[in-house]
Amino acid sequence: MIKPLLSLLSWVIRLSLVYWVIGTLIPAPPRAALEVPDRVVETLHPQVCMHTRLIDEVEEWKIQRTLQLVREMGVNTIVEFFPWAYIERSPDQYDWSSVDRIVRHARNQGIHIIARMGLVPGWARQTPDDPRAERSTLNTLPLDSFDDFAQFAADFAARYAGTIDQLIIWNEPNLAFEWGYQQVDPAGYVDLLRTVYAPIHAANPNAVVLAAGLAPTLEPPGSPNGLNDILYLEALYANGAAAYFDALAVHTYGFTDPPEADPALNFRRAELLRDVMLRYNDDDTPVIITETGWNDHPRWTKAVHAAQRVTYTLDALRMVESQWAWAEKACLWVFRYPYPTFSYPDNFTFVNTEFQPRPIYYAVQAYARGWEMDGLLSLLPLSARRGGWGVRLILGEKIGSETFVFLPSLNSGWRQ
Amino acid sequence: MIHLSRFSPLLLFAALVLVLISQPGDEPSATEIFPYAEIRFGVDASYPPFSVATADDLFGLEIDLARALGERIGLPVRFVNLGFDGLFDALRTNQVDALISALPIDTARIGSVYYTQPYFDAGLVLVSDGTYPTMRDLSDHSLAYEYGSTAESEVRAWLRRIRPFDLLPYDTPAAALDAVRLGEANATAALVDAITARLYLRDHPDWNAEYTYVTNTLYAMVTGGDHPEIAARLDAALQTMFDDGTLIEIIDRWL
Repeated sequence: MIKPLLSLLSWVIRLSLVYWVIGTLIPAPPRAALEVPDRVVETLHPQVCMHTRLIDEVEEWKIQRTLQLVREMGVNTIVEFFPWAYIERSPDQYDWSSVDRIVRHARNQGIHIIARMGLVPGWARQTPDDPRAERSTLNTLPLDSFDDFAQFAADFAARYAGTIDQLIIWNEPNLAFEWGYQQVDPAGYVDLLRTVYAPIHAANPNAVVLAAGLAPTLEPPGSPNGLNDILYLEALYANGAAAYFDALAVHTYGFTDPPEADPALNFRRAELLRDVMLRYNDDDTPVIITETGWNDHPRWTKAVHAAQRVTYTLDALRMVESQWAWAEKACLWVFRYPYPTFSYPDNFTFVNTEFQPRPIYYAVQAYARGWEMDGLLSLLPLSARRGGWGVRLILGEKIGSETFVFLPSLNSGWRQ
Repeated sequence: MIHLSRFSPLLLFAALVLVLISQPGDEPSATEIFPYAEIRFGVDASYPPFSVATADDLFGLEIDLARALGERIGLPVRFVNLGFDGLFDALRTNQVDALISALPIDTARIGSVYYTQPYFDAGLVLVSDGTYPTMRDLSDHSLAYEYGSTAESEVRAWLRRIRPFDLLPYDTPAAALDAVRLGEANATAALVDAITARLYLRDHPDWNAEYTYVTNTLYAMVTGGDHPEIAARLDAALQTMFDDGTLIEIIDRWL
């Protein structure tokens, strides 16, 4: 009787030893210990800002690495999405952990956060007898749930007061997709702003409520897809929105135009939105460009070549700083995705999912940190050499694991 | 008592007949699978030559492919032109039956959606006169590619795997291919995506170049995770197009 038990015990001990040995051979996951002391962002152009996508990261070290790269880039502000659905999965049951770790690492890297709020938890999306239940999406916010969203926004504002004071309410409500695949409704969005505004300010008197950035689009009135952003902003003002936001978030993409092109569906669309603000005597309300940039996908019809993307982006940043005093920040979309989309959105990024910086990362870094006069860190397209701009390779420098080549000046350009 | 051995051939025959008769009835009809009596394809028509929108029409390789699939299945096709961000939500909310929009198979989505077999490989290809058919052959030679592109990332990865080769970045992939074709800067090969390569080679039929795949980016149709029957029906129709050469004919028409 005892002999089999001893044999069994002996095997348990042996297997435990094997398990322990194997465990010691597996590399430990990277740690995300906070740096001591807190870091400071070095920048000469503090209006440069990045939109990040950190909330979907599972591993904390990736949040830290992202924010380290943002800091090293010379960027002191990020826009980050904080989905209601992730935080309040059951009514009044908050799980702040995913927000806390982003805030902790951002503070450690000396980076300020602008929060974008949206994405509806299932319990707030519809009632069981709602005929729309089957067709609801994460962006479906029934009127009955406005107060719940306002309560969440206020609790968020209170918890992070002094750390996150700028709150963007929703995203691109002029698109049906972002409005739960319902007909877009400017008056409905004003109702949402009205519902959240007072509770947020009561929770944090220093809060800045930003009206959502609108999607740049030419969709006409009545379109099932959305509504022209200029018309939508007009409708917001006509419905009395001005009293319920402190700053306007703006989305303005260059698509295939250079930044200096006449205002249309391009970078200078921000000026058309600003004109609407001026028409409604809202001069004092600042603008924060929370999404902007160019895409360098080889096939997408709204993309440019990678070299053009670099040139256009830097010219746009200069334009914001020198000509758009009303714009406090220009946040570039998007620093990095936690996972690839395997389509053109990947070509908005500055760093790929494996943290390999793309050339535009180094270009914006050189601009933000004031290295521009010393030359752009980049590889020189041969056609630039052929094109007679008089630039040449002057030296190589090892940065990290990559060797880069300095150009005497980006201003020589690659535009064809 | 029934003597089974006497009746078994008859029983087997009856069972076989039953199976043959019942099989078509077991398989749902096209209108059972597609209850709107049409196939609703979600597409982001901003991706030439796969799908492009004009003011009142859509055209491209995927538009032709979807129409051909509709003919095989016996149902008309309707396209719902969406932005990329809305594609998967439209599938989830049953606004479309399937997506056909240059979507590579994403293993992270498997489980929540179904993919058909792929209909095109848009991965990176190495283009040369045939002397350098693989990346390993490039050591000590020169490689042209588009600056800042996916090809550049791949090039840098290969620099860590094999003996060095010279980097020749150009501002467009076509310029990189020009360099190889014209023998510029001793460019021995170019790394570009398969779509660019096919379009370029079609425009330069006199250039006797070859290409080999270095990476794979497999485009497939997508259906909702609760509609495996839609994926199966599209897959079966696509297979017939593989088998009789229709798919190749459509690809060659556009690329």
